[in-house]
Amino acid sequence: MGKFLLLAFRNVFRNRRRTVMTLLMVGCGVAGLLMVGGFFAFMFQGLRESTIHNGLGHIQIFTAEHFNRDEVHVLDTGIDDWRKVAATVQTVNHVRGVAPRIEFYGMLSNGVKSSVFMGSAVDPDAERNMGFSPLLAAGRDLNRHSSGDAEALIGTGVARSMSVKVGDGLTILAVTADGALNGIDVQIVGIVNSGFKDMDDRYLRIALPAAQRLLQSSRVTNLVVGLDATENTDKVAASIVPRMSDLSQPMVVRKWIDLAAYYKQVRTLFGGIFVFLGVIVFVMVLMASVNTLLMTMFERTREIGTMLAMGTPRAWIVALFMVEATVTGMLAAVAGVVGGNLLGVLLNASGLHLPPPPGTTVEMHFRVLHVASLMIGSSLLVIVSLALASIVPAIRASRLQIAEALAHV
Amino acid sequence: MDEIVSVEAVTRRFPMNDDQTHNLVSALSDANLRVMAGEFLAIAGPSGSGKTTLLNLIGCIDEPTTGRILIEGVDTSKLSPGRTSTLRREKIGFVFQTFNLIPVFTALENVEYPLLVQGVGARERGKRAAAALESVGLASRAGERPDLLSGGERQRVAVARAIVHRPALVLADEPTANLDTHNATQLIDLMRDLNRSLGLTFIFSTHDQRLLEHTPRIVRLCDGQVVSDSGDGGNNG
Repeated sequence: MGKFLLLAFRNVFRNRRRTVMTLLMVGCGVAGLLMVGGFFAFMFQGLRESTIHNGLGHIQIFTAEHFNRDEVHVLDTGIDDWRKVAATVQTVNHVRGVAPRIEFYGMLSNGVKSSVFMGSAVDPDAERNMGFSPLLAAGRDLNRHSSGDAEALIGTGVARSMSVKVGDGLTILAVTADGALNGIDVQIVGIVNSGFKDMDDRYLRIALPAAQRLLQSSRVTNLVVGLDATENTDKVAASIVPRMSDLSQPMVVRKWIDLAAYYKQVRTLFGGIFVFLGVIVFVMVLMASVNTLLMTMFERTREIGTMLAMGTPRAWIVALFMVEATVTGMLAAVAGVVGGNLLGVLLNASGLHLPPPPGTTVEMHFRVLHVASLMIGSSLLVIVSLALASIVPAIRASRLQIAEALAHV
Repeated sequence: MDEIVSVEAVTRRFPMNDDQTHNLVSALSDANLRVMAGEFLAIAGPSGSGKTTLLNLIGCIDEPTTGRILIEGVDTSKLSPGRTSTLRREKIGFVFQTFNLIPVFTALENVEYPLLVQGVGARERGKRAAAALESVGLASRAGERPDLLSGGERQRVAVARAIVHRPALVLADEPTANLDTHNATQLIDLMRDLNRSLGLTFIFSTHDQRLLEHTPRIVRLCDGQVVSDSGDGGNNG
């Protein structure tokens, strides 16, 4: 069997120019998949981390009621004793910090113009400790211990539509937990550009005490948990769940992936695009390889006839062609992985930027991640493609009429 | 002496072009031949006389249109393709006009090939292939690939390959056609020596009159018909 494999291996290099061309073609396919897949992986990673650090956090804790019924009044389903819950979570390994949040909505007014907002109230210090900071286009972040009017961050779209800037005052109107209308004055200290236009057109952020004063409630909507690394999310979530059972209010622990609908949509979309590219590469390799292998079979007709005349089982001829194609696929995969990674290193070093993706306003870095699973997957794809491509030539070779094959010129 | 080949009223017709039923051309007509074990037999005749067709039929790489061929008493027309392949693998050695060595194998590996197909272990294969190469005087060229060997050397490697598994029958189709007179004579002498020393049966085709002088039995073909047989089925070795 070793000698038979040796024969297959040597046959691969019989026509070196053609083999090099095949390796180049298939290798380019692998390298292309690594480039695209590596860039998508970078994009997914970037989107994941920005989603988490722009405020989603790694884990969020809600009351069970939050998902079971709609709120009649704001904070109806909020967490009562959130300090106790936060203290419980804070003791879990890998937890970097716990921050309370209030999600609310209402109207903004500067006396001349009004606009609706989707607001969040945060503990600025806790957010900063977890590395969650808003993307400021102007001004500064919130300061929890400021004197005078409460501070506010607004989105670039809000600032534009209301013609306000850092230092200007605004009045926030919202319905309290009791259903009454309430208002507070705030001073704009910063303008945020999240990169998502729809969000920036409705963005408002104030400090937690101001929101509690506005909404007339000591509750919070949820607790956001920041971890030392995203990879620890599952482990930490599993540790938190049993600790929630002692609390008076039933709690629900949600991981970031459960809450990141946009991230999941993007991933599904680009995953589909990648599969489509994979299919194209598969078909290209298949078609081109069938042609090359048929040519090889034609050139070796007399040799195959000789082997058959000497009593070589026809199955061996099939196996020979398939092994040759598989070896070619393996070499092409190695060439593609090496070439793709080198190209990735070069492109990463070039500092290339891409225009802002649709719906965003920030241009993207072009980076290619070196993903092991992608290398293995792409390699397997071309190896299988070549092995499949060899089936037709292999069967045709094995079915040659010996006398005719020996007379082949 | 045992009968090794029996060709009984064999006819082989080929269709002209792609027409499988009409316009058949006859390459061999009603041929009869008996070959005994240990014979050294030449099939002679001009080009197109049916020499290759007869050898192909005896070698079980083609099937007669009518008639039958027996190898060691086995009717080859009744064998399945798999059994026919086994018969060729075990009983027959082939030498071709254009040598037909596997170009990516060395001389030794080419000689090993029939043993590889038979499933002989690597060590035994190497030993027997080296001995076969030694017997054709090419032990020193064992590691060379065919493209580095002369025509005569290549054909001797082909002979070593044909005899390495000790077949009952060695078939050589125009083995000297691509060799000069010196190499051709050497090759025929080599085959004759192997025939004598190992008792191998050789059947080879040629239209070279000079080579026939070394051959004890000559079967002459003309237009697909056996026109003479100098040995008449006996052992002239």
